[in-house]
Amino acid sequence: MSEQERRERIARSINTLHAYQDIQNEMGRVVAAFNYRQADKILERFALHLDDVSLEYADEGLFRGPDAVETIVRETVGRTPRPGEMYDVHLTTPVIEVAEDEQTAKAIWWAPGAASLLDENAEPSAVWMWGTIAADFIRVDDSWLIYHLHYFTVIKSSYDKGWVEDTDLVHRANTPLHPKAQSSTHHNPYTPTSVRDALPAVPRPYADYDGPGWMLERDKTK
Amino acid sequence: MNSRRITAEDLADLDDHELDELEREVERLIAVWQVKNLRGTSVFWFDDQRIGEPRRELHALGHASVDAEALLQFRRTPVVDSLQGNMLVHPLMTPVVEVDERAERARGVWSSLGIEALSKFRETPTAIFSIGFVPGSHVKENGEWRILQGMWQRTTKNEYHAGWVRDMQVTNTRPPLSAEEDRARLGRYAYRPDEVRAAHPEPPRTDTWDEFPDETDDGWQRVNLD
Repeated sequence: MSEQERRERIARSINTLHAYQDIQNEMGRVVAAFNYRQADKILERFALHLDDVSLEYADEGLFRGPDAVETIVRETVGRTPRPGEMYDVHLTTPVIEVAEDEQTAKAIWWAPGAASLLDENAEPSAVWMWGTIAADFIRVDDSWLIYHLHYFTVIKSSYDKGWVEDTDLVHRANTPLHPKAQSSTHHNPYTPTSVRDALPAVPRPYADYDGPGWMLERDKTK
Repeated sequence: MNSRRITAEDLADLDDHELDELEREVERLIAVWQVKNLRGTSVFWFDDQRIGEPRRELHALGHASVDAEALLQFRRTPVVDSLQGNMLVHPLMTPVVEVDERAERARGVWSSLGIEALSKFRETPTAIFSIGFVPGSHVKENGEWRILQGMWQRTTKNEYHAGWVRDMQVTNTRPPLSAEEDRARLGRYAYRPDEVRAAHPEPPRTDTWDEFPDETDDGWQRVNLD
């Protein structure tokens, strides 16, 4: 290995190290903005200049494209917060892989959380809200932006009843999907009658970006 | 804006010794993330509990200290009749990871607040709340980090509504463990209302590889007890 090649290799390693920490920080900022109901701060961390940027959450469908992503973030996170309402999601268990070409990264986190949700004319309800976040990041200039994000529900249950007794919130109410949503790609939260399936998949080291399909990869031998 | 990209030209002024130092330190820091990735993979896979499913290996089966056959046999042994209604979600938190000078061995301790559901014989599952630690040692095998040692150390494991003061579930095995047998295994350092808590495991100290140079020596976890 020549001296130049060696320096290039070390430089790549430094960039990978920076990327690990930058991506962890960026996702931490997104989660904080979600908890504080700051739609603008979430949206500025999405790659909204890309036609296939996407956000999928629970069984509410896949929002693909800048307009769909912006619409659903503003209509949900951007709603005016009400007294007694709280979302408090945490980022844990990071698994982050940065592409060899340093242009993209894949990551998952377990995100345990608690919430106080408001029903009409009722006291706030204490709710457990645990999920898994899978995300693709893309490097734009010197910033890491979210390219695709998928929130997989693990549990969403009443604090009083717990995740075995309360299955009311596992499946969405029988209301229409958002008009800008495409069909969900995967939804398998915990229920007393379901079988866990370890999705999203754990990202693996990779050379260059090959799409968000890795999130639903069932082959664990790779 | 995140970190500026580094190029080879940014390193042009460093001499060989400085490059060696930089390279070694960067490798050690990257190893911390790779070990976090490894342990993260381990707990994500633990959730679905599908015994016998083909998976890439996460453990250092080639290490002389590992009884690979016993480990594989343990994995093949079912402890529930059906996976229906079962869940093991143990997020990893509070990482403390120390990598050796050559970036070939690492020790770490994580804490975990977890939610579980257990149905042993297809009965309605029991919701379980469980707190514990993941202490362990890791080595590089075939260029990838692998788990050498480290078992779940339970602090609490209670039926959700009963709470951790009133209830302690034992590890689910077949045949089932008595409370005394459980106390000798994963429940050794578990919470008891009538005991002072044992300070175990100790997170690896910065000098862990000087004090305990053998990667199979897990005495670093017990420094508060000896």
